[in-house]
Amino acid sequence: MLKILRLEYLLNRRQILIVLAIFTAYFAYMVSRIDSPRVFVVSTCIMIGLAMPFTILGREDKFKTSAFVCSLPVRRSTVVLGKYAATWAAIGLGLGYTLLLAAVFPFSKIQVAEILTARSLFVALFLISLIFAVILPFTIRFGLVGIIILLVGFQLLGILALILSHVLGGANNPLRVFIRAVAGGLRTLLTHEATPGFLLALLAVGVAVSAASLFVSRALYVRRDF
Amino acid sequence: MEYALEIKALRKEYPGFTLRDVSFVLPRGHIMGLIGPNGAGKTTVIKLILNIVRPSAGEVKIFGLDNLRHEEEVKSRTGFVLDETPFYGYFKVAGAASVIAPFYKAWDGARFEMLCREFELPLTKRVNALSRGMKMKLALAVALSHGAELILLDEPTSGLDPVFRRELLERLSGLIQDGRTSVLFSTHITSDLERVADYITFLREGDLIFSAGRDEILEKWAIVKGGTELLDEKTSKLFRSVSRGPYGFTALTADKEESRRVLAGRGAVIERIHLDDLVFFLGREGQQKEEAARE
Repeated sequence: MLKILRLEYLLNRRQILIVLAIFTAYFAYMVSRIDSPRVFVVSTCIMIGLAMPFTILGREDKFKTSAFVCSLPVRRSTVVLGKYAATWAAIGLGLGYTLLLAAVFPFSKIQVAEILTARSLFVALFLISLIFAVILPFTIRFGLVGIIILLVGFQLLGILALILSHVLGGANNPLRVFIRAVAGGLRTLLTHEATPGFLLALLAVGVAVSAASLFVSRALYVRRDF
Repeated sequence: MEYALEIKALRKEYPGFTLRDVSFVLPRGHIMGLIGPNGAGKTTVIKLILNIVRPSAGEVKIFGLDNLRHEEEVKSRTGFVLDETPFYGYFKVAGAASVIAPFYKAWDGARFEMLCREFELPLTKRVNALSRGMKMKLALAVALSHGAELILLDEPTSGLDPVFRRELLERLSGLIQDGRTSVLFSTHITSDLERVADYITFLREGDLIFSAGRDEILEKWAIVKGGTELLDEKTSKLFRSVSRGPYGFTALTADKEESRRVLAGRGAVIERIHLDDLVFFLGREGQQKEEAARE
């Protein structure tokens, strides 16, 4: 696994620096405009959850070297584990960096104490786990095209949901009830008291979702032809 | 006999192509040439050995070990050069080696540098900036730098100049002198194989046509030429891929001695075969069968 991590590091170090430079500009703008720590946490998670897997997993695709890696004396399941570990490491780096940016930027509208909390951190990790868990199996199976398929799929699903919601009419149609439930769940997540039980539950769900994602990715990757 | 590679009933199904139950063995300390027309399945066989593609059925054993169950061990003892050399382009040659080295316990950095010098590969040049031939040399240098006991080469001589090609063939011949190293070598340039291969495996459209010792093939197979009046029921059974022209016929036979006996005193000429002829005639036989099946 360490060999794969080293390989990912060597492959991505420059790319990660570029992404962090982009993050600096993006979050500098964002923290000067947004004063809600909840909006900041959610948008940060979406940004990091998408950008990091895209960066890490895109390199193999760019150089078309997946076949080469699979020819080396390493199990395919280890390659997948290495990719997950590398992406999580990059996510940790990105998350730490953006939280730090929000805290130290002189013109930031966000209070440091409001974002550097256990709840922010756990909620962020939980949300990133969800995004990450869905994206990675697609990327592992289909490469970069997988992320594009997934994002386009979500867009289409959104359009379909809007049309359906309009066709069904009424404030209490099942689709609107579902969307309200999701929004309510997210709100609860961001406002819930940070009790140890709540944090532990977040952590447990995040770990379980990541483990399930890893399991699916491994199963897909060992069957993949290059 | 100890085998470096044993392939049993190996099958791979793709849409529009099937590698059908291919079986052959490569004894240790020998070179085997994998030949056949385009689309025969040569690259598929090499990819299946390396587990780059998954088999639909069958098994591959390397040094007696299953290539899927003992993946790490067999790959650490295997060197490879693929048709397309997929290295990380923006690394320099030395950097590319440092990425690969930790994967092999027996990696020999000094040997890699020596091979680079021998192959005139500049260590400080980016892989992207190398020509196809130079990338091939890099892949070879990597394959030869970790004490591999089985070397798989997919079209390694394409893109190489004749001088280096000859040097490579001599190097391959030298490698097997230890009686431990074996080479499986797919190529279109059959003259290369005539120089170095001990065994030849011929694939056509996913089917194994034969796998045998080179000398045995050259001993048994031959080109027969003669007047068309010689083509009767008896001789037709001996011939494959008969080509008729205004001055007679040319055909391939897999039984030189029997052909010689049947055609004795009838004005036929039996010529020594070259691997190139074999690829040509058997390739054409495949086309003829395909056309007949379509009709």
